[in-house]
Amino acid sequence: MDINAIPLFSTLKSRLGYLSQRQTLISQNVANVNSPGFVGKDLKPFVIPDKNSTAGRLQLTGANAAAGPARTDPSHMQGMVSNTGSQGRPQTAPDSETRLDGNKVVLEEQMMKMTDARMNYDAAVTFYQKSLGLLRMAAKAPGR
Amino acid sequence: MADPKFPLTSTGAAMAVATSALRAQQARMRIIAENLANADSTSKTPGGNPYQRQIPVFQPQRLSNGIQGVQMTKVEPDKSDFKSEYDPSHPSADAKGYVKMPNVDPLVEAMDMREAQRAYEANLNVIETARAMQSRTLDLLRK
Repeated sequence: MDINAIPLFSTLKSRLGYLSQRQTLISQNVANVNSPGFVGKDLKPFVIPDKNSTAGRLQLTGANAAAGPARTDPSHMQGMVSNTGSQGRPQTAPDSETRLDGNKVVLEEQMMKMTDARMNYDAAVTFYQKSLGLLRMAAKAPGR
Repeated sequence: MADPKFPLTSTGAAMAVATSALRAQQARMRIIAENLANADSTSKTPGGNPYQRQIPVFQPQRLSNGIQGVQMTKVEPDKSDFKSEYDPSHPSADAKGYVKMPNVDPLVEAMDMREAQRAYEANLNVIETARAMQSRTLDLLRK
């Protein structure tokens, strides 16, 4: 059984991927806190795929389940949107201050973001663990 | 299988970036130490130029796997004027008795040093967080 075929798990998985990518970006920003002219990058907020378009979503399997475009008609082409989706692409996110050398990274704000990413990561991993427990309970023979 | 939308960039990437920054800040500390150590270094010849303050320049640097670290790309001399002191008995004094002193301001260097220290701590924080995230994921295996 492919565990990613379960929408909950594949959503959690892309959430974890999103958070670790964000962590990498934040580490790049922090590393370049003294580079002249450097502007920090960040990801767009994570959005769980729209529930209203479940018609096509439920047919998708695997990693695409949470991130693919909805195919509401069988004649729709599958498309490669999931590879180039703007959500996963880093974009410039200047902080509130610009220094004289053009650097737009504020260490405090990056630390806030980093803690935020870490807490969300912890939450997602815990949720993943709980869901696995749920599966395990369902798989256990009753009364044991 | 990696999710195509969010390739699972290993937390190792974050650590590699932070490590490059640690290295850069170390190099910066070295330059600051040089400046402070030479704050009173005058010229060897009478009337010559004394030690010139060095300024480290950081630039984003692409690491091997497409991630962006940082590197101290060059060290530039500070072009500001030297201070002059009147001291005719000094071996480096010019004909009028003035000695050129380095353009190093210990106060500025101290500020720089504190800034480097803060940046270093921030990067250590990043490593600590990346490590915590990684070990949290590994905890999944424990149950």
